[in-house]
Amino acid sequence: MSLLSFCQSVQDGPISTGIRESIWLFPIIETTHVLALSVSVGLLVWFDFRLLGFGIHQPVSRVHKQIMPWTLAGFIIMFISGVLLTWSEPVKCITSFFFLAKIFFVLLAGVNAMVFEWTYRDTLADWDNAPVMPRRARVAGALSLVSWFAVITAGRAMAYNLF
Amino acid sequence: MPSLSFFDALLPFFKWCDDTWLGNGIRNSRIYFPIIETFHLFALTLLFGAVVILNLRLFGLILRRQPISQLALDLAPWIRWNVVVILASGIMLFLSEAMKCYASEPFRFKMVFLFSALLFHFTIFRWVTRAGEGRMNPIWNWATGVLSLTLWFGVGLGGRAIGFL
Repeated sequence: MSLLSFCQSVQDGPISTGIRESIWLFPIIETTHVLALSVSVGLLVWFDFRLLGFGIHQPVSRVHKQIMPWTLAGFIIMFISGVLLTWSEPVKCITSFFFLAKIFFVLLAGVNAMVFEWTYRDTLADWDNAPVMPRRARVAGALSLVSWFAVITAGRAMAYNLF
Repeated sequence: MPSLSFFDALLPFFKWCDDTWLGNGIRNSRIYFPIIETFHLFALTLLFGAVVILNLRLFGLILRRQPISQLALDLAPWIRWNVVVILASGIMLFLSEAMKCYASEPFRFKMVFLFSALLFHFTIFRWVTRAGEGRMNPIWNWATGVLSLTLWFGVGLGGRAIGFL
């Protein structure tokens, strides 16, 4: 069975059809998705800016420790609502260039975050009072900003079917 | 909700907006609207994040070791510039579909919350977050945080609903 016919059979199923055809379910899930994104990514970017030396002037390990749980909580809500949205129209998603681009940038952001956490899991506090973060941390911050803004751009573009 | 007659009285203004060259230009292009909307969302994400961080701090949930006023000062210029980008891009989006907005309940809802949120943010919210440490009863910090989050999320909710209803 090809991916497309798999998506078609998912789309014909009761859950997919239920979400898609409900007057309230799709808008509610979509709104949850967007609001969770603005909180999750909205908080994360301030940690990314801290890595680059902008915004919040507090020890980097403290900003990390205090902001990440909220970002993660927001991400979980965003992820679940995102799966449900995809579930409701998998054929449209899988054939959309912007959906595939979005998935790519979500994965890029995820890998980037994991590499960062791994690299600095014991040493982040060493940089608390450093005037400038090490190059690797700055690159991680910049990459995170770029990939999340690409996710937002691609996500928004999906709705317009530009090509 | 303002009475219907208040918005109805603004009908000539909405008509005029709908017919500006900027509104027409955006409406007649397939890509201007999505591009402007994307910048609207970028700035919105930064603003929401900064506001949520300040409110979590007001609730005493994060970054407790430094004064609220310090955090507020760190974030203030960013919040200001993001408000500028949001309003500029928002006005452009509005001009391109002013008559649709005129007929949209969520748009009215959003505008009420937007003007309340801005007014609240640059007055009471500003005073409370800039007050010296210990000078503000924690109850006021909580009340300010709850009201701020309610107003800003109302703006987001109304904004999203414009596209659906």
